[in-house]
Amino acid sequence: MQSTPLLTARGLTKRFGATKALTDVDFDIHAGERVAIMGENGAGKSTLMKLIAGVYTPDAGSLTLGGDAYAPATPTDAIRAGVSTVYQEPSGFSHLTVLENLFMGRQTTRALGWLDKKSMGREAGELLARLQLPTRLLKRRMGDLSLADQQQVLIARAVANEARVLILDEPTSILTDTESERLFQLVDQLSAAGTAVCYITHRFDELERVADRFVVLRDGQNSGETDDPDREGLLRMMGSVSSVTVGADGGLVAAEDAVPSAIAEGEGGTEGEGGVLTGSGVADAAAATSAPVLVVDALSSEGIFRDISFAVRPGQITGLYGLVGAGRSELALAICGELPIDAGTIAFQGKPYRPHSSRTALEQGIAYLPEDRKTQGIFPHLSVGDNLSAAALRGVSRAGFVSTAGERDLVATWMDRLSIKAETPASPITSLSGGNQQKVLLARLMATNPQLLILDEPTRGIDVGTKREIHRRIRELAATGIAVLLISSEMAELLELSDTVHVLHEGRLTWSAVGSEITETAILRAATGAAA
Amino acid sequence: MTTLTDSPGRGASTPPPAPTTPTGGAGLSLYRVVHLVQVWLLPALLVVEFVAFSLLSPFFLTPQNLTNVAVNAADLALIAAGLTLVILMGGIDVSTGFAVGMLSWVVASLMAAGQPPIVVFLAALAGGAVVGLLNGMLTARLAIPSIVATLGTSALFQTGLFALWNSRDIFSTPVFPFLSGGARLGELPILVLIVLAVYLVLHLVLTRTTFGRSIYAIGSNVEAAKLSGINVRRVRVIGSVILGLLIGVAACTYLARVGVVQASSGGELTMLAIASVVVGGTSILGGEGSVLRTLGGVVFIVVLDNGIVLAGVPSLWNGLIVGFVILVAVSINGLAVIINARKKRSL
Ligand SMILES: Nc1ncnc2c1ncn2[C@@H]1O[C@H](COP(=O)(O)OP(=O)(O)OP(=O)(O)O)[C@@H](O)[C@H]1O
Ligand SMILES: [Mg+2]
Repeated sequence: MQSTPLLTARGLTKRFGATKALTDVDFDIHAGERVAIMGENGAGKSTLMKLIAGVYTPDAGSLTLGGDAYAPATPTDAIRAGVSTVYQEPSGFSHLTVLENLFMGRQTTRALGWLDKKSMGREAGELLARLQLPTRLLKRRMGDLSLADQQQVLIARAVANEARVLILDEPTSILTDTESERLFQLVDQLSAAGTAVCYITHRFDELERVADRFVVLRDGQNSGETDDPDREGLLRMMGSVSSVTVGADGGLVAAEDAVPSAIAEGEGGTEGEGGVLTGSGVADAAAATSAPVLVVDALSSEGIFRDISFAVRPGQITGLYGLVGAGRSELALAICGELPIDAGTIAFQGKPYRPHSSRTALEQGIAYLPEDRKTQGIFPHLSVGDNLSAAALRGVSRAGFVSTAGERDLVATWMDRLSIKAETPASPITSLSGGNQQKVLLARLMATNPQLLILDEPTRGIDVGTKREIHRRIRELAATGIAVLLISSEMAELLELSDTVHVLHEGRLTWSAVGSEITETAILRAATGAAA
Repeated sequence: MTTLTDSPGRGASTPPPAPTTPTGGAGLSLYRVVHLVQVWLLPALLVVEFVAFSLLSPFFLTPQNLTNVAVNAADLALIAAGLTLVILMGGIDVSTGFAVGMLSWVVASLMAAGQPPIVVFLAALAGGAVVGLLNGMLTARLAIPSIVATLGTSALFQTGLFALWNSRDIFSTPVFPFLSGGARLGELPILVLIVLAVYLVLHLVLTRTTFGRSIYAIGSNVEAAKLSGINVRRVRVIGSVILGLLIGVAACTYLARVGVVQASSGGELTMLAIASVVVGGTSILGGEGSVLRTLGGVVFIVVLDNGIVLAGVPSLWNGLIVGFVILVAVSINGLAVIINARKKRSL
């Protein structure tokens, strides 16, 4: 591009205590351009965006917007200047309605701040329509919506600002392909109208679809940029090549992973087999016929899911797929005792099991990784170490006293195994990048030695290298005889890991398959209600 | 599919899915019951209260008694209205009672010194604004948790009042006639109309203005409020100042009601104000509630007080009953929060 950039950043540096989140970073974006910001967890992507959005102020360096100096001191300044942001961590108002959420901070008013409800209602209807969301959502309380719907409302809110610069920090990490595609269409429209879009993602399969240029950060520094969505090049710039290699079909394979059949990240593997991806079917025959550890029979929860039956076997990975709102997470919550069950039974290890809360579930050996990291997962006031060991303290305690050394070892072991990037185990969890927080939660569960591991979007927001690592860990865990129930919106992940897949559609189980019967087309058909 | 013991097709072979909206179901789930209780508890309690007391005392349901109750509730109602804003933002104020006490000393002294009523009234407002500004700055600017900050200022006001009082009770007449129950418009005391007007205005501010939305937003999620471009500190301070101004007015009506300033004047109002807001159903955690509910809470508490006296119950029981009712109301709110959280994932 020859024209002058809309937004420029020069020499941005940002320190948090002893952590250098960004060092001397430059960044440009033109009007109408779509730029993907890439990098491993903790590379500084979100920090860069937050400097642009006025959440943080830089320690050094400067910004310009539309040719003028731009130094937002607060998010308000940035919003006024035309910078609109969808943050990585969801930031809605759960007590307020969707309509109120959509207009928070930018209400249409008459004199004295009096709200113009009529025109806001009209405008809100149009906004939702652009994301193909039903207008009936407007009156619902934000907190009553699923996380993915909340995310879409936040996207609609950011879009509504008619921003000059739109920042999307991992917006699709909890959306399935269907919802993601709607977002991409919206991004297309906006960039055609001149909005500059900064897009952060760890999903390689959407890169070409959403971005014209790729800017890579590594350890808080510029690591290069390119117009070429070539995976190998990008991975090299990100510094992920050591842990990931590129397979013959263009897909990514963990370096340690000798299994050539591992399904490629993204669409790489699709072409070779006529548009059909198949499951890996790693489980051996013994695991497939062993007595199930969890049997769910005709389970119903009023208004959420109905008449669900399936079994989870030790040593197997059972995948659950469904579009947003299909009831996948809700089913997991019910198994953990966090959602009332109205009918049906659950048997765990051959015995009837009636969960009352996650605590009883955990005592029985059912560990659950929740979908919403921020509100259901982390203890925001505690350290990385305390967060990690929280569920496994019993293992390192005697007569109720926690062994300091035992806890330290436990934390160190797991931080090392999942390569968690934190200054020290004593750093506050909130100082970690999103992906690293997710790893801490995973470690917390894995450390409890569960019989059944329920993982709701386990690699949400995790970079490719670590994702491979986590996939490998999950497979290893299954190989030791642990049953895994895996919920994922990412088709490639589901296909790669699952031995069995169940698909939910509007609260019903519509389809199940094992091993080689698992195909992408069949799953999608079932998820959209097309299969019987 | 041979290795599956369950029947995968089960879901699809049964009749088409029922509508999956949680509110659409006709069944009375626990969630709906709690929700209904949460909404209707206060109205129901009010009805029970009125019926019970009118059976217990023939004097209870007379216009004279009811206007008396309304007039006597004025200071509590004004404080509770302002306090609702603070609690909606997730804050609390435990200094309101002694702030009223201290300001009522100022009002009484100025009256005794023969100052014109308008000057006295403006002084009360100014004093209230200072109180609000102080509390607001401590919590919003210095980021001291509001419970700690207002415990501190409460001690300050209490000691201040004690020092000013200096073992001399000050007797006083109302600043303006309409601040006592005496002045009437037809049958209705003007004071009651003023209180109702305050509630109406605050209700409109909360529901119809950006400022009101910001208050709910802050109570719901402070971080998100900041990121949405809301000036959290300013809204917090303004909320505190509004409470302070209402405390200033309340000091005048309090003095008109009791007619004397003593060492511990006003102290009882702190707890009653918090109780009114909470019994009304505004969440102590912020983000949810309304001033109209608070008005209901105020009515409930003052009528309870009045009815117990009229029914000849020893006044010792009064505190016990009020305390019990508050616990019940708060636990029902808490239960609703838990159940809401469990059901919230439904679409
Ligand atoms: N508020 C904070 N306090 C202290 N350290 C922080 C804070 N925010 C970020 N950091 C640190 O700055 C570095 C960059 O974090 P950032 O969130 O920008 O990473 P990211 O590239 O967005 O990663 P991810 O892909 O995991 O979201 C990390 O090492 C992180 O621990
Ligand atoms: Mg990030």
